[in-house]
Amino acid sequence: MPLDRRGFLIGASFALLGTAAKTKLWAQTPADVQLEIAPFKLEIAPKKIIQTVAYNGRVPGPLIRWPEGKPITIDVVNNSDAPEIVHWHGLWIPSGEDGAMEEGSPMIAAGGQRRYGFTPRPTGFRWYHTHVFAGHDLRRGGYTGQFGCFYIEPKQTPGAHDQEIFLTLHDWNAYMGGGGDASMDAFYDYATINDRMLGYGDPIKVREGQRVLFRVLNASATATHWLALAGHEFAVAAMDGNEVPKKAKVPAVRLAPAERIDLLVEMNRPGVWVLGETREEIRKAGMGIVVEYANLSGEPKWIDPPETLWDYALFANPASVPVEPDQRVPLVFESKFRGHGDFDYWMINGKSYPKTDTIPLQEGKRYRLAMRNKSGDDHPIHLHRHTFEVTCLDGKPLSGLHKDVVVVKANSNAEIDFIAANPGATLFHCHQQSHMDFGFMTLFRYV
Amino acid sequence: MLELHSNFTAEGSYPASGSRFTAEGLYPTNHAEHETVEITQGVNNYSEVGFYIFTSARSGDGWQWVGDHIRPRVRVPDSWHWPVGVSLSMEFGYQRASFSKDTWTMELRPIIDKLIDRWYFAVNPALERSFHGPSVPQGVGFSPSAKFSYDFNKYISGGLEYYASYGSITGVSSLHNQAQQFFPTIDLNVSSNWEINFGIGIGATANTDHLIVKGILGRRFDWTHHRAGSSKSPQ
Repeated sequence: MPLDRRGFLIGASFALLGTAAKTKLWAQTPADVQLEIAPFKLEIAPKKIIQTVAYNGRVPGPLIRWPEGKPITIDVVNNSDAPEIVHWHGLWIPSGEDGAMEEGSPMIAAGGQRRYGFTPRPTGFRWYHTHVFAGHDLRRGGYTGQFGCFYIEPKQTPGAHDQEIFLTLHDWNAYMGGGGDASMDAFYDYATINDRMLGYGDPIKVREGQRVLFRVLNASATATHWLALAGHEFAVAAMDGNEVPKKAKVPAVRLAPAERIDLLVEMNRPGVWVLGETREEIRKAGMGIVVEYANLSGEPKWIDPPETLWDYALFANPASVPVEPDQRVPLVFESKFRGHGDFDYWMINGKSYPKTDTIPLQEGKRYRLAMRNKSGDDHPIHLHRHTFEVTCLDGKPLSGLHKDVVVVKANSNAEIDFIAANPGATLFHCHQQSHMDFGFMTLFRYV
Repeated sequence: MLELHSNFTAEGSYPASGSRFTAEGLYPTNHAEHETVEITQGVNNYSEVGFYIFTSARSGDGWQWVGDHIRPRVRVPDSWHWPVGVSLSMEFGYQRASFSKDTWTMELRPIIDKLIDRWYFAVNPALERSFHGPSVPQGVGFSPSAKFSYDFNKYISGGLEYYASYGSITGVSSLHNQAQQFFPTIDLNVSSNWEINFGIGIGATANTDHLIVKGILGRRFDWTHHRAGSSKSPQ
């Protein structure tokens, strides 16, 4: 039916009323959570100051712990000198609230503010972070301290642990390096767990016999990290906030950028230990934290774990009855060389964002993304606003492993399935900042 | 890293009439093959030590040992965030008098380089000093070199290298007595473990070998052997 003038004006007046009402709400109703984006000097060790941008003058930003099913409002004030946006990573929320401008979420101008409102779901360990372009400016975007943990509490908490500790990994002072026979990559001067370098923060205090649940987030812009707790084993309880089918024990875990992992540790070897990167040079750069048993003191000890290869299949079920998708979406990842003195460009099916083809989705259908990584780099692939199931890795089927980031290894294949159950524009990208900034993104759009 | 530098002088110096040697008393370079083995070991992430074994082969003269050099090198660590790469090498060593009248020499070589997109630039304003031989009174000599190259693609780069010796820094030699060489070069970046370089050098002055064909074949070794993608691999 064509719109007549009355219809148009009625709609317009509703829209205006809506905007006015929202403005009034902003002014009158305090939000559940306030975040201020502002420049921040982070002291990661005595006299080692990182000039960065952070939430509420701390790194990581405040832990948002919120019960399942309860709506939340979050006011974000941008007191930095550049437009910003906050992405709520791993949450099933509308595109306009998701915090990615490619999906239609508005940017927050420098000096501006925005209220986000949504009902957080699904339960588990999610996180929030900036989602802006950094490009060659390695002091912006994911290279900064703009990240924090978001935990959505289930109505019934199993509570099989005595202590819960959130840990965030991050790398600092990025610079372009490498080159020579390869393209450039981001390298870093320092690394931290939470806000401190190894040896300069408060130790984690535990007691013998305790079961400690570590919820670990890799908030690095580009670096994959390996973690171990000297003298102890990790039982992997969840990945990306979703319980894993098999809680396998491993001596070390691998976390690509944006991945989270829940690790249960039985504290059965009294001492003062280092929980840190397995690679010495990265521990020396700061990535570690001391774990101290009650009534014990002394120099923290590191014991190299046995060399470990990471395999998601350890924590998944073998696929018993193959589930066929409604549609397969082939996606080929390739790099485009731009010189040994620059970052590569990235392509999905031969095109770089924003020239990539938008992929149509129909609500309720099951899609299988058949990914072929033809490049020599690993890619932590992230699908916004949905959770997917990892169904095949290099021809090996598996099931029951639900994630929102999966590493597609160099020169390998991976398949993931998801149900199109959250209408709206949906971003798909590599979570390495230098890859997504240079073309490694595409959009899914519900039709 | 292990490198083999191969130089063949297609057009160089000739023996003096009735002699195996040139007028200066050196082995002639015309149609001589020079093979140099370079072994480099990293000390930490900003220093290394290199060791050279120089050899030469020429029809009638057989394969001969020429000399050995040692070359420690330090570079500005990445964490200093300098806009250009800067390193300094100091090369010291001996070569037999039948190949060079200056038998004990030292070279101080600053290396300044920069990668910009597809371009690579490097300048080496090197200073050299002889401790035994006719060039001792000359004092410090100036022997700069430079290179630029362009990445045609990920695997092939083409460029131009320049090598010169201007004589003493206190009294530049005449052009006739200077050494000036230009090498159009190709670098093949086929693997992070291999270094492959080819070039053809053209001498521009009377005091320079007129035509040289050179090649470098280098192999990097990692003694740790951790499996790629493991908790101990460097990636």
